[in-house]
Amino acid sequence: MTGFLLLPVFLPALTGIFLLISSFLEHVKISRQSGTQEPVRNERAGKGLPVFVGMILVISAAAALWAAWAGDGSVTLFYMMDNIPISFRVDEMGKLFVTILSIVWVLVGVYAFVYMEHEGGEKRFFGLYLLVYGILVALDFAENLVTLYFFYEMMTLASMPLVLHNGSREAIMAALKYLFYSMCGAYLGLFGIFFLYRYCDSLTFTAGGTLNTALASGHQGILLAAVFCMLIGFGAKAGMFPLHAWLPAAHPVAPSPASAVLSSIIVKAGVLAVIRVVYYIVGPGFLRGTWVQTAWMILTLMTVFMGSLLAFREPMLKKRLAYSTVSQVSYILFGLSLLSPAGLEGALLHTVFHAFIKSALFLTAGVFVFQCGKTRVEELRGIGRQMPKTMVCYTFAALALIGIPPASGFISKWYLAQGALGADVGVFRWLGPVVLLVSALLTAGYLLLLTMQGFFPGEKYYEKTSEKQEPPMGMLLVLIAFAVLSVLPGIFPNPLISYVSRIAEILM
Amino acid sequence: MSANIMMIAVLLPVLAGVLIPFIPFKKRIWMMGYIEFMVLLTSVLTLFMLLNPPQENFVLFRFTGNLSISFRLDGLGMVFAGILASLWPLATLYSFEYMKHEGHEKYFFMFYVMTYGGTLGIALAEDILTMYFFYEMLTLVTLPLIMHTLSREAILASRTYLYYSLGGAAFAFIGMIFVLTYGTTSVFVPGGVMDMASLGDKTNLLLIIYVLCFCGFSVKAAMWPFSSWLPKAGVAPTPVTALLHAVAVVKAGAFTIIRVTYYSFGTKLLKGTWAQTVVMVLVIITIVYGCSRALKETHIKRRLAWSTVSNLSYILFGVVLMTPLGLVGALSHMVFHAVMKICSFFCAGAVMYKSGKNYVHELGGLGWKMPKVFLIFTISGFALMGVPGLCGFVSKWNLAKAAVESGTSLAYAGVAALLISALLTAIYMITISVRAFFPTKGFDDTAIRDVKDPNWMMTLPLAVFVVAMVVFGLHPQPVLRALESVASVMQ
Repeated sequence: MTGFLLLPVFLPALTGIFLLISSFLEHVKISRQSGTQEPVRNERAGKGLPVFVGMILVISAAAALWAAWAGDGSVTLFYMMDNIPISFRVDEMGKLFVTILSIVWVLVGVYAFVYMEHEGGEKRFFGLYLLVYGILVALDFAENLVTLYFFYEMMTLASMPLVLHNGSREAIMAALKYLFYSMCGAYLGLFGIFFLYRYCDSLTFTAGGTLNTALASGHQGILLAAVFCMLIGFGAKAGMFPLHAWLPAAHPVAPSPASAVLSSIIVKAGVLAVIRVVYYIVGPGFLRGTWVQTAWMILTLMTVFMGSLLAFREPMLKKRLAYSTVSQVSYILFGLSLLSPAGLEGALLHTVFHAFIKSALFLTAGVFVFQCGKTRVEELRGIGRQMPKTMVCYTFAALALIGIPPASGFISKWYLAQGALGADVGVFRWLGPVVLLVSALLTAGYLLLLTMQGFFPGEKYYEKTSEKQEPPMGMLLVLIAFAVLSVLPGIFPNPLISYVSRIAEILM
Repeated sequence: MSANIMMIAVLLPVLAGVLIPFIPFKKRIWMMGYIEFMVLLTSVLTLFMLLNPPQENFVLFRFTGNLSISFRLDGLGMVFAGILASLWPLATLYSFEYMKHEGHEKYFFMFYVMTYGGTLGIALAEDILTMYFFYEMLTLVTLPLIMHTLSREAILASRTYLYYSLGGAAFAFIGMIFVLTYGTTSVFVPGGVMDMASLGDKTNLLLIIYVLCFCGFSVKAAMWPFSSWLPKAGVAPTPVTALLHAVAVVKAGAFTIIRVTYYSFGTKLLKGTWAQTVVMVLVIITIVYGCSRALKETHIKRRLAWSTVSNLSYILFGVVLMTPLGLVGALSHMVFHAVMKICSFFCAGAVMYKSGKNYVHELGGLGWKMPKVFLIFTISGFALMGVPGLCGFVSKWNLAKAAVESGTSLAYAGVAALLISALLTAIYMITISVRAFFPTKGFDDTAIRDVKDPNWMMTLPLAVFVVAMVVFGLHPQPVLRALESVASVMQ
């Protein structure tokens, strides 16, 4: 059954669109009657909504996983233009991304059922949530570059309203910033696609690349420039310098579940696009040793360091986590820029681990907002005494992100450092690991401060923080699940490592 | 099928238009019926003609020698005539509703319908003289449409329009004389009419003349530095700005440029010369310039007009690549931009008509009052910025493909310009939608309490356009095949 992989694309997407239309019409009606202009908040969804959305989400996720692991399906939807099909195929990379996507999406969905009660506008939120899920599945399964680009743009447009959810001026500005940076990135990517279309045999993803060396000979200069544009462009989604500025603005203003998926999954779409371009279209051999590789490495290392530094200085918790995303996703990009098997393995491992860890961290920040409306780190003194379970989860995730063994971040950073030391990249061989190490120290600084102040707030806070304020069961369970997912793969990493090393073998 | 049908299609709307002020209609609905019937009849004739293209030409009358006013339908003409025939009836329907509050309807529709004949004349012209004739006629019949409100601003705008157009036509005239003198024949021939062997040392002179002629015709296509008349002409009633200043008149400019480039001077003469470089630089500047001005502009219609300036130069960019692929890109953008821009203009017009708001910052909260209009406006914005799945992406893809194929660094710069322009388009279109749907907090909506979506005469054309944008976006192959066959005669 080859068409099966369309189910996890269309079922959530169409359900999402249905919910969006319904929410839209409702709001039009409200605005006609009362004349209030408060954004979608006044809309009230029934109790049935979470059940309905949850059911669709679980069915779609199950279908996605089944399509990914049970069969090597491929299906062509239609031909957009001559020899440009919109088509899907399951491959080793898509499998990995779809699996992370589905796990995170379902868990965060459960959390959101509880959380969104206090934000309002659930119908619209879950409509978008489902729609983005469908689009991301399609993006992960995309068989060629145009299909990927198609869904990449869709994803930007569909996830942008998640950012402006609360309708405040700040949120709207952040959403526009997100949109324009993403569009800028997408157009840079498109610029490269035009050239690759000219000089590659096909835009279908093929391990090792499809660059036509005969055609391309003599045009290396422009091709390298085009690929560099694509790296910058798709890097925008992954928060890479110089197009990173939207990320710390947009991720924190979204409702916390949305921040979690934006930071853990949607940025990875940029990573996937970069992987597809470098490893499946142009081929790593074409870039190895060129100025593009050097420039790319410099940019990623700068981003790693700068992101950590800015996170260290940032007083708002969610914004701090967003800066941390900027830094951490560039770890992944640095691994990719090494163009070596170990670097690729490290990058893929970090992709997986960072998804779980960052979800856990953002969801914890969401708990603080949900339970006591606190957003600044300094307000959170003594929080560990009020929500010990939540803070334990947070701490485990933080340790994993810093890379303290045996938590998962250690494994990926080990591979990244090893990849850098083993690769033939000149000065970056030692500079890379040094930057990663410094950044890890900064990470420890900006994440563990909260734990320390949370559990040991000092004498005068003991009185105020004696009352327990643990979040509702639904949220807490999700947090625990993510905390476990951040630690456990570090203790039992072998299946995952063997999987990513198989990918690296195929691609190199 | 005899060739007479071409003459009928051109003359019918002209005569029907002239008669409008003289027929004493008892009720408005009768006038509407008459106009819509005549326009539909012309469109049906035209579409019939496209399906059964007459092979021979039709000579209306002859001047001295071999100069004549004559028609012939070829592939390129079919594309332009097809666009006109599909859009005119819908736009007419829209104008019935819109023109209710503008007054002087009879005179408006008189010129509006006559313009149809004029543009069809350009599409069907067999030789450069006929084309020039209808080109001048187009200037004259559209002038009163810009003047329509008779406000000071409108009169100034129409004066600007007149000066620009007549000046442009003068340069075009020079070009025409040289084509008639040095060309082997006066009619349009794919590949050009210049006899390369006998030109000798005149080549450089002809290139100069081509650049002059290009600039002359490009006045109508609003190329920089001749573009400022178009946003000023935005004072005209919306049906005029939408149909004429986004489609018919400005695309007539692009169409005439295609004619002189590919069918008169010929790409053999022009390709790779300094003349090509000069016009391409002008076009690339316009692409970015138009968008930047659109970004700065807060009047909705003028913003869209600047966006038209930029998008018309997309078409011209395809033209001046001077390859068959470039022509395909140009023609596809000609078709698709027509749909997208008329759609966004009609939305803007509907907003002005129902709410009286003209500026972007006044739009707060209107999205929820006029949900259909603003949803459609948003979709047309997505299409203009080239979101895949909508038609704007297809034409952008084809233009960029042709540019990369041609392989010069100036063409690469053109691709970059296209994408910069797409980004700016995203900014100036999406901010409008966001403002309409997400007003600032504490916004007071008492002033717009009773604003509603317009009636079916306005929404039906919009719905048709949205469907067209999606269908062309997802399944553009039939259109592209047709355009490729038009361009293939250029080899």
